[in-house]
Amino acid sequence: MKRLLNNCRFLLAIRLVLGGVFVYAGAVKIAAPQVFADSIATYQFAPAALINLIALSLPPLEVLMGLVLLSGFKKRAANFSILLLMSMFLIFLAQALLRGLNVDCGCFGGGEPSKWKPWISLGRDILIWIAAFALYRDAIIPPESRD
Amino acid sequence: MTAKNPHSLLKGIGNDFVVFWIMATGAVCIGLLVNQFRDQPLALTYQTKAERMSETVERMGAQAPTAAEVATKSDHLSLQELRIFVESKQGVVLDARPNVFFRLGHIPGALSLPRNDFENGYAVLRKVLEVDKNQAIVVYCSEDDCDDSELAAQALRRLGYTNVRLFKGGWAAWVDKDLPQEMAL
Repeated sequence: MKRLLNNCRFLLAIRLVLGGVFVYAGAVKIAAPQVFADSIATYQFAPAALINLIALSLPPLEVLMGLVLLSGFKKRAANFSILLLMSMFLIFLAQALLRGLNVDCGCFGGGEPSKWKPWISLGRDILIWIAAFALYRDAIIPPESRD
Repeated sequence: MTAKNPHSLLKGIGNDFVVFWIMATGAVCIGLLVNQFRDQPLALTYQTKAERMSETVERMGAQAPTAAEVATKSDHLSLQELRIFVESKQGVVLDARPNVFFRLGHIPGALSLPRNDFENGYAVLRKVLEVDKNQAIVVYCSEDDCDDSELAAQALRRLGYTNVRLFKGGWAAWVDKDLPQEMAL
């Protein structure tokens, strides 16, 4: 596993896949902001005054971050941004699951609030978080400094 | 920058955060700007699906609901009852899912009345529905957890329909039993 996470080609593949996933996820939501706002509302963490602002802003941010990640420009900052955003997604999803809410992940456009689907989303988000962490770790810790 | 120098590491993370902040600010501006060019810009304050539906129905001429009407839940049909209802054509079956899902597949004979575009959907079905406001109507959406069918059923009752019921299992339960389907591509 350690060798894999130090492999440049593997990390490049992760970067391209993550970048593509973020561009796609953002583009789908830009097309249907009301549906995404309804998804955000199911998490019951943001006041009504902020839900639509988040629904309008988060998708362009995902597209922007995905494009930066794909282009390789400001790679380290893009890796950090993805890691930060994934950490926030995980916290919001986990709090909703712990509270027993029926949430619609809204990760790739709208769905229906559900009891079991968010657990799949949580698993997927954990995988993406690990990938983002591996990329950021690679950016801040040079290979020769790793244990 | 290396992990051996915690000070420069923290400084680097700080710089990364600044770049994130700049991108986030840019995204807010882009999001608000793009919204201005939409056919139907999103309002800045969120309204729940129920609030939006209520506004739509009032725009269509219904009175504001009483507390009792709000609290009233629709009667349900079982899958077996719905099968008989569909096969013997006892009334109208309405699909409250977004129209794109209706086109991909729906219960045979069902008509599309999407919750998310109720006003336009109703205008298309007006002639069929307003023939008899006491006719039997069954509404369904995607699955157990969806609320589109309940919202559409409440809206129909507020528009004067007296015999509206729900099929809670929705499209998922129908497909699960491998029952006949229709497409409208």
